[in-house]
Amino acid sequence: MLSYIIRRLLLLLPTLIGITAIVFLTIALSPGGIGASLLSAQGSMKPAERKVRMDYLNRRYGLDRPYIVQYLSWLNKVSPVGGKEAGEGFPASWKFGFKSPDLGESFTRGRKVSEIILEALPVSIILQVISIPVTYIIAVLSGIYAARHRGKMVDVGIGTTLIGMYSVPEIWVGVLFIGFLCNNDYVRWFPTNNLHDMQADSMHFLPHFSGGFQRGWLLDVAWHLVGPVVCISYANFAIISKLARGALLDTLGLDFVRTARAKGLSERVVLFRHAFRNSLIPLITVAASILPALVSGALIVETIFGLPGMGKLSFDAIESRDRELLLSDTFVISVLTLLGYLLADIGYAIADPRVSYDS
Amino acid sequence: MTVSASPMPSAGYEPGDVAPSRGSRSFARQAVVDTLARPSAWFGLVWIGVLVLTSVFAPFIANSFPLFVKQQGHWSSPMLRYLTPADVTWLVAFITVLVLAALRKVAFLTGLAIVLWMVALTLPLTLWPAVIKDGWLPGAEAMGRGTGWAILVTICLGAAAILIGVLLTIRPPKLIIWGLGIFAAVVLLLLICCPIDPPQAIVYEEFRNKEVAGSIESIIRTPIAFSPNDYQRDDHNACLQPPSTKHLMGTEQSGADVFSRMIHASRIALSIGFIATGISVIIGVIIGGLMGYFSGTVDILGMRLIEIFEAIPVLILLLTVCAFFGRNLYLMMLIIGVLSWTGNARFIRAEFLRLRNQDFVQAALAAGLPLRSVIFKHMLPNGITPVLVNTSFGVASAILIESTLSFLGLGLVDEPSWGQLLNQARAGGTGFQWWIATFPGLAIFLTVFSYNLIGEAIRDAIDPRLRKRD
Repeated sequence: MLSYIIRRLLLLLPTLIGITAIVFLTIALSPGGIGASLLSAQGSMKPAERKVRMDYLNRRYGLDRPYIVQYLSWLNKVSPVGGKEAGEGFPASWKFGFKSPDLGESFTRGRKVSEIILEALPVSIILQVISIPVTYIIAVLSGIYAARHRGKMVDVGIGTTLIGMYSVPEIWVGVLFIGFLCNNDYVRWFPTNNLHDMQADSMHFLPHFSGGFQRGWLLDVAWHLVGPVVCISYANFAIISKLARGALLDTLGLDFVRTARAKGLSERVVLFRHAFRNSLIPLITVAASILPALVSGALIVETIFGLPGMGKLSFDAIESRDRELLLSDTFVISVLTLLGYLLADIGYAIADPRVSYDS
Repeated sequence: MTVSASPMPSAGYEPGDVAPSRGSRSFARQAVVDTLARPSAWFGLVWIGVLVLTSVFAPFIANSFPLFVKQQGHWSSPMLRYLTPADVTWLVAFITVLVLAALRKVAFLTGLAIVLWMVALTLPLTLWPAVIKDGWLPGAEAMGRGTGWAILVTICLGAAAILIGVLLTIRPPKLIIWGLGIFAAVVLLLLICCPIDPPQAIVYEEFRNKEVAGSIESIIRTPIAFSPNDYQRDDHNACLQPPSTKHLMGTEQSGADVFSRMIHASRIALSIGFIATGISVIIGVIIGGLMGYFSGTVDILGMRLIEIFEAIPVLILLLTVCAFFGRNLYLMMLIIGVLSWTGNARFIRAEFLRLRNQDFVQAALAAGLPLRSVIFKHMLPNGITPVLVNTSFGVASAILIESTLSFLGLGLVDEPSWGQLLNQARAGGTGFQWWIATFPGLAIFLTVFSYNLIGEAIRDAIDPRLRKRD
C-alpha cells in the first residue's frame, strides 16, 4: 500500500505539469497575449503612454520572454524544490534546493495570491462540509428504499424523479431561488448575497435572547447558506441515490445474501448488516468525483449567490484576465482534486479487502 | 437511432446474454425495440422531435417578415428574401435526412456523410449573394480581405470538387474520397474560424409600419410575428412586457419577443450537443482504440493523458478559453468535445483489451489486413456499444455546459440562447421578471431531461446485467 501511495504521489507531478501547461498555453496563445489583456482593462491611451505601460508590464512580469521560459519560471516559483536565490531555503548557500513555494502576486489586485486563496478556500469548504453529509445520508436512505421496492411504482417513480432532478440546470434553480424566495415582490425569506449580514461582526456567536431574538453569527451564516447548499446538493443527491440503489441491488443478488436469508435472518438484518456494507464500495468512488467539486464545482453557485469562495475567485480571475491568480488557482484546485482521487483509492482498499494495489 | 443502421453482431456481450428466444433479430434492432418499449424514451424522443422541427422551421414560425404579402396588386414573400445561410443550411440538411430516411437502404455513416456534403455544398451558394451585393467576405473583419477571398475561394473550390466528384463517379476511387475528405476538413476549419452569416441591413418594423400606413392589401404572417433580434424600435413600451396575447412569453430587456428567441435558440442547443459529443466520441475512439489495441507503453502513456484531462477543472478551462479567445459557437463545441472524450476512451480501451485476444481479431491479423481495417472495421463495431449508450448523456451535459457559459456571460452576443435569456433574468437593475427566468430554464430542463431519459432507456435496454436480473 505504501509503495502504491508513493508511486501515485510521484505520478501527480507530470499530471500537474500537464494541467498547468494547458491552462498557461491557453492564456498565452490568446489574441494579443496577456499584455494586451491587461492593457484593455486600462481603457483608451495615447500611443506613447501605451508603449510605456506595455514595456513596464513586460519588464515586471517577464512577458517579453519566450512562452516556454515564462512557463518554466512560473513552475520553478510554485515548486518547493528548484532554483532559488542563495541565502534562503535549504541548503542556504546553494542556488538550487528546497524553498518555500511562492504562488506569485495577483496582476490586478496587487496582493499575494496565496493570501487571496487562503481567504477564499474556507468559504468553499464550509459550503461542501454542510452539503456533502446531508446529501449522502438522504441519498443512501432513499436509494435503499427504492432498492427494497424494486420494480414497483414507487421505485419507478423515484427513479424518474431522480433523473429529473439531475437534469434541472443549477443556473435555473439559483435564479428562481433568488427571484422568488429572496425578492421583496414575492417573499423575502433568504438573503440574496454574500456569506454574512452587514452587522455580522458585531453579532454574538450563538443565537440568544436580549430584547427579542438575536440570531447570532452562526445562524446568520447558516441562513445565508440555505440557497447555495440547496443548489449544490440536489444534483449530487440524484446521482448518489441512483448509485446506492444499483449497488445494493447488485449485492442483493449475490450468494451470501441468499445464504443469510436462508438462515432465517430478518430482512432488516440482511439488508443493513450484510448487504449494505458491501454495497458501499461504488459510493466511495463517487465521493472521489465529488471531492473536486469541493473547490471548483461550486463556481456557478458561488457566482450566482455572490459567495467569495474558490469558484467565484476563479471566475473573477478569468473576467479580469489575471493570469497569475488564475494559474495558481487552477494549480491549487488540481492538487486538491488529485489528492481527492488518491484518497478515494485508499478508501476503496480499506472498504474492500479484496482490492490490492500492490502488484 | 444511431444503433440501428450498422449491422452489429451480438459479439459485444457473452452469447448467453442475448437470449436465443428473442428470434433472429439482430442485437441492434433488439436494442432499439427494447428502448422504444419504454414510455420515458418516447417522452424524450417527442420533445427532441419538437426541438428539431422548431430548429429547422424557426424562420417560418417566428419572423418579423410576413410569409406572404400583397402590395400594389402582386404577391411576394419577404420571409424568403431574408433567410440567412444558416436557415437555408438547416432546411437543406433536414430535407436530405428525410429523403435518406425515405430511401431506407442507406447505411448510417454513408447517410451522415451525404448530409455533411449537402451542408458543405449549400453554404458557399448561400454566401455568394452577400458577396456580390455588399462586397462582404467571410472572416474579412478579423483577418483582412485577402484572407477573406482565400477562404471564399477555398470553400467554393471544395464545393465544386464535391459536386464534380459526386456527379462523375457513382463509386469514386479512394483517392477522390480522401481528397474530398481533406477539402471538407478545411472547409469546416474555415467555418470554425469565421462567422458565416453576412451582415444584413434589416428593418424589422418595415411591414408593421407599412401596415399602419395602409400600403398593404393583404398579409399572411408567421404564427409569431417577431424575429428574435427584432427589438421593436417602433414601440416605446416594448421592453419587459409580461406575457400577453401579443407576446406569449413576454419581452426581454431590449424589447425582443422571448418566445421567438426561445424558438431560434433551440438551434444552438441541438447543434452544440451533437457536434460536441461527436468530437468527443471521435477523439475517444481513436485514443482509446490505440491504447486498447497496443496496450503496454502506449496504454500507460494514454492513461496519464486521460488522468490529466480528467483532473482539469473543465468549467474553469472552458471559461478561460471563451474569455480569452472571444465568443465563437464552433470553438465552444470544439472545446467541449476536446474536454470530454476521456470516458469514451476508457470504454473503448476496456473493450479493445478484451477483444484483441479473440479469434476473429487474430484471424483478421493473420489474413494480413492493415491495422486501420483491423481496428475500425473488425474491432470497433464489436466494442462501440458502451460508447453509443453514453452519447445521450454526453449530449445532455454539453447542452448544460453551453447554457452555463451563456448564463455567465461568455456565450454568443447576438444569437439568442436559453442560457443568455436566463442571465437577463438575473441581471440587476431591472429587477426580477418571472417570465424571462421560467421559460428558458424550463426549455433547458426539458431538453436535458429528454436526453437523460433516452440515455437511461437505451442503457436499460442494452445492459446485459440488468437483463439477466429480470
